[in-house]
Amino acid sequence: MVFEQLAGNLIQGIVLGAVYGMATMGLSLIFGVLKVVNVGHGAFIMVGAFVTLWSFTALGINPILALPIAFVVGLALGLIFFYTSMKRLLKAPELATLLVTFAMGILLEEVVKLVFGSEFRGYNWVVGKVSLGVTVLPMSKLYACIGSVIIAVLLYLWFNKTRAGSAVRSVVEDDEGARVCGVNVGGTYALSFALGTGLTVVSGVLVTMFIPVGINPYMGGGYTLKAFVIAVLGGLSSPYGAFFGGLVFGLIENGSYTLFALLPGVEPFALTRFLSFLILLVILLIRPTGLLRAK
Amino acid sequence: MKKTIPKYYPLIPVFGAYLILFLIGKSMPGMWELVAMLLFYCALGQAFNIFLGMTGYVDFGYVAFMGVGTYGMALAITRLADVEGLGVFIIILGFMLALVMSSLLSVAVGAVALRLRGAYFAIATIGVNEGFRFLIEGARIWNGSEGMIFTAQLNRILGRDAASALSTFWADVMVLIIAAFAAFVTLYYMRSRIGYALTALREDEDAAKVMGINVTKYKIIAFITSASFAGLVGAASWALKTPYVFPPEVFEIHYTVEAIIIVLLGGAGTLLGPVAGGLIYGLSKYYLSIFLPGFQLLIFAPIIIAIIVLFPEGVIGMLKNRIKDTALGRFVV
Repeated sequence: MVFEQLAGNLIQGIVLGAVYGMATMGLSLIFGVLKVVNVGHGAFIMVGAFVTLWSFTALGINPILALPIAFVVGLALGLIFFYTSMKRLLKAPELATLLVTFAMGILLEEVVKLVFGSEFRGYNWVVGKVSLGVTVLPMSKLYACIGSVIIAVLLYLWFNKTRAGSAVRSVVEDDEGARVCGVNVGGTYALSFALGTGLTVVSGVLVTMFIPVGINPYMGGGYTLKAFVIAVLGGLSSPYGAFFGGLVFGLIENGSYTLFALLPGVEPFALTRFLSFLILLVILLIRPTGLLRAK
Repeated sequence: MKKTIPKYYPLIPVFGAYLILFLIGKSMPGMWELVAMLLFYCALGQAFNIFLGMTGYVDFGYVAFMGVGTYGMALAITRLADVEGLGVFIIILGFMLALVMSSLLSVAVGAVALRLRGAYFAIATIGVNEGFRFLIEGARIWNGSEGMIFTAQLNRILGRDAASALSTFWADVMVLIIAAFAAFVTLYYMRSRIGYALTALREDEDAAKVMGINVTKYKIIAFITSASFAGLVGAASWALKTPYVFPPEVFEIHYTVEAIIIVLLGGAGTLLGPVAGGLIYGLSKYYLSIFLPGFQLLIFAPIIIAIIVLFPEGVIGMLKNRIKDTALGRFVV
C-alpha cells in the first residue's frame, strides 16, 4: 500500500520535476553567462503565471498558446532591466547585482499586485485525466511536463546549432577570449539575460498547471528557494544541469513527502520545505560544483 | 604593539539623534508611536549594518535572527511564568535567552554559509528564515504553526498597568538602548583590528587573505554580533510590544528587505548611515501609508535600484566625502 503510494508520488514527482527543471534553466543561464544570481527569480515565474491567467480569462486563450506571449513578455522585461540597471553593474561588486535583482523581484510583485490585486486567483482548464495504474495524472500536468522537455531540447539545439548560441557558449567559457575572436560580448550579455528571464516567465505558464489553490503576486518566493536548490544540484551555471537537478528535486520532494506523512505528530508539507533547505546547505558545502557534474 | 586611542566623537551625532527622537516622542502628544517605529528601523539598520555594511556580504535570511530572538523572549515568559518572585527579572532572562538563541543560530548558519563566497553565500542564506520557520511548523516545535500568546502571563507577572506600560513605552526605550549600544559596538569595531580586517576583506578578499588576515574569523565575528543584536531587537520590539509570536510573521522576509533598504539608503558601512536611513525610510513609509496606503514597496523597489546604480555610497557616504577635511568631518564616520 505504502509502496504503491510512493510509486505513484514518484511518478508525479518526475512530472513536476521536469517543470521545476525548466523553471530553473533561466536562472542557471543568467548565472553561467553574467555571473549574476537572479534573486528575484520567483517573481518572473509569477509574471508567467499571471500572463497565463490574463490570456485565459481575458482573451480566452488556451494556456499552451500563452507560452509564446509569456516568452515575449519575459524577453521584454529582461531587456528593460538589463539596459536600465544590470548593464552598469556587471563590473560592480557582487552585492550590487544581488540587491538589484532582489529589488526587481519586489518591483514585479508590486506592479502585478497593483494590476491584479493580492488575493488568490485561479483558472480552470479541464482537459481530462490519464490513469497510470498507481496514480491518476491530469492531462494538463502531462502537457506541462512534455512542454518542459520540448523547451529544454529547443534550448539545447539553439545553443549547439546556431551562431548566437555558440556566442553564448564562448562567453561562458571565457569572455575575454570571446571578445578577441570578435564576439559581441555586450550584446551576448543582453541576449542571455533576456533569454533567461524569457525562459523563466515561460516556465511560469507551466507552473500554473500544478497549483490548485490559484496564484497570487507573492507566490514566487517559494519558487526562488526551490530554484536555488535545483540550480545548485545541477552545478549552478549549466541549464541542462538545472533541468536534471529539477527531476532529482521533484523526486526528492514527493518521495520525502510520502515518507514524512508516515511520521506521527508532524506537518509533512512544512518538513519537506525544510528538507529542501537542508539539501541546499549540504550540497553547497560538500559539492558546490553540483551533483551531476563529474569533474 | 602601540595601542591607538579610540576616538568616540562620531557617536555624538548618533546619540544626539536618538536623544532628540526620544524627547520629541516624550514631549509631543501622539508622537510616541511614530518615534517608536523610527527607533525600530534605526535599531534594525544599526544591527544589520554591522554585517552587511562592514563585510559587503548580503544575508537574505537576516530576519530569522529577529524571529529566534522573539521566540527566546516568548519562551522565557511562557515557561517561567509560574516561577514565584521573578517579577521584572523575567524580562532580563528573556533578553538573555534571546541573545543566546540568536547567537547560537548565527554560529550554526555562519559555520556553514561563511565558508562560501559572495553569490554562494547569498544563496545559502536566502532560505534560512523559511527553513527555520518550516522546521518550527513541520516538527511542531514551540507550538508549531499556532505560535504563542503570552499577554495573560505578562499581566499576571507584572500587573496589568505595568504590562501595558511595558508594551507602549518601555519596550521602545529598550529598542533605543539596543540601537545605541549597536552603534557603540559598530564604532568600536571600526576603530579596532576587526574593522581594519573587515575593510580589507570588503575591498579585496583574496588580497586580505594573502596578507595573512584570518578573514573567516572576522566575518564570523561580524555575523554573530549582527545576529545577536537582531535577536535583541526582535525580543524587545516584537515579543514585548505585541505579546505573541506567530511563525509566518516573525520570519517574514519583508523585514530583511527593510533592513537592506535602510542600510543602503543611509550608506553601508558608515556609523551614522543606519540612523539617517532609518529616519528617511521610517518617515517616508509613515507618510506613504497615510497618503498612498499599500504602495510603499512599489515606490521603494525602484529606489533601491536607483541608489545602487546611481549613488551606491548612500546619503551619509556622500556627506562623508563632501566634508572629509572640515571640522565636521571627525563627527561623521
